[in-house]
Amino acid sequence: MSVIQLEEVRKSFGGVQAVDGLTFEVKRGEITGFLGANGAGKTTTIKMLLGFVTPDAGRIIVSGTNPSAVSTRRSIGYMPETAWYYPWLKVGELLRFYGGLCGMSRREIDPMASTLIKRVGLSGAENRQLKTFSKGMLQRVGIAQALLHDPEIYILDEPFTGLDPLARIQFRDIMAELKSRGRTILFSSHELSEAELICDNVIIMKSGRAVWNGSTEQVAGDGTRNLERVFLNIIGSDTGMEA
Amino acid sequence: MSLIARQMNVLIRASLLELYRRKDLVVVFILGAVLLMPLAFATPFGFSGAHIYFNEMALLMVWFFSVFITLGVSTRMFPYEFEKRTIYPLLAKPVSRGTVVLGRYLGALSASISALVLFYAAYIILCGVRQHVWFSEVLVQAFVLHVGLLMVITAIGLTGSLLLTISANVTITLLIVFGMLLFGAKLPELADQQSLAGKIALYIAYAVAPHTEFFDLRQRLVHGWPAISWGVCAVVMAYAAAYSTACLFVADLLLRRKKL
Repeated sequence: MSVIQLEEVRKSFGGVQAVDGLTFEVKRGEITGFLGANGAGKTTTIKMLLGFVTPDAGRIIVSGTNPSAVSTRRSIGYMPETAWYYPWLKVGELLRFYGGLCGMSRREIDPMASTLIKRVGLSGAENRQLKTFSKGMLQRVGIAQALLHDPEIYILDEPFTGLDPLARIQFRDIMAELKSRGRTILFSSHELSEAELICDNVIIMKSGRAVWNGSTEQVAGDGTRNLERVFLNIIGSDTGMEA
Repeated sequence: MSLIARQMNVLIRASLLELYRRKDLVVVFILGAVLLMPLAFATPFGFSGAHIYFNEMALLMVWFFSVFITLGVSTRMFPYEFEKRTIYPLLAKPVSRGTVVLGRYLGALSASISALVLFYAAYIILCGVRQHVWFSEVLVQAFVLHVGLLMVITAIGLTGSLLLTISANVTITLLIVFGMLLFGAKLPELADQQSLAGKIALYIAYAVAPHTEFFDLRQRLVHGWPAISWGVCAVVMAYAAAYSTACLFVADLLLRRKKL
């Protein structure tokens, strides 16, 4: 069953076609990697999935409804590409802020927040304001806030950026655990090796279109290929880089 | 607690934490105290009526600092959200843009009122020490109307922040607030001296601009004049509420149209 569906979606900004007839679907309980070179249209697509941007044409269904409806966002956990949060807040306060926006009570937020702080490796940093956090630590905060209200769907924009190897392993474990609980994850990334390790499916975008959409088994083919090779064959041909 | 009440609660709390942790208020309060406190004790040339001038100066500072804090809080909220991209995780939560506008408004207003309480506390100490007058009905009315003024300034600052840069917004809002405070009451008189086009323009300005002069009870407080009717106070506060609502309605429209 699909929880994210896009049909012939188009979006342009001042004559630049950011997304051009994009069609794909993401099934419940799957991890899908959303790959592509810079400017391929990944972030615009994510913004449309979150209802931030309205498509010029086509249809988007998230969790059975229109993504611009406020109620749809109850079922979405979003992690932005650039991890900037309110620097004067502490991590627990930030989680209480986002939890409150999701309608959670303090009694629900506090135990969840302390579990998540430990889980993303921020124990010991609870009493520091976010302005003192490194980029990697802010990325961990981003993961925690996306997980806080235990949504059905996770839309993560470049979640591995800035994470150290240990945090990457922790985050992969978190994603695997979410998958085991039937949660759906769509994440954009430039980290092809990470995508290959954890994804069920991969969508490769080029010039606003999905030029590859298949499972990671299909990527591997007879075992002679890997995602990097496929990616270079598709994207690299324009840049003179080929596998 | 309903969903919207919870959302308002966290938005207000975050604004208060911002004001106190950024330490803007501490700086302004210390500056205010340094300027105000000597006035409580100084008696230049042994002139007995000098307290009136000191009183007026102190109130002017309370007005100036409170407007400064209010503009500082209200005008930077949305520009910061867009510049630092915190608007994305915020709007990715199940919260409507209208709720965000209202929550940010109430947050900025709460922060400004909390600062105002401190300023009035300093002013009361000043008057108490100097004149042995710790409380008067006019003082309560002046505080209530001052809150009304902050309601209007916060709404204008917040709405302007969705259209203008912070510096342009602060400059224009300050011009409007102090321009109307000084000349607002004289606009109809001035309009009647103009040609038809000028008259229409000035009357439109009179109708549209915020009447900050309605909220000013400083002269009454300084000279110890009697309190005004509480009915008048209620009407002025209703005006503040209506004006703020109109501004927030525009802010909601602007945020909905804002490119993310």
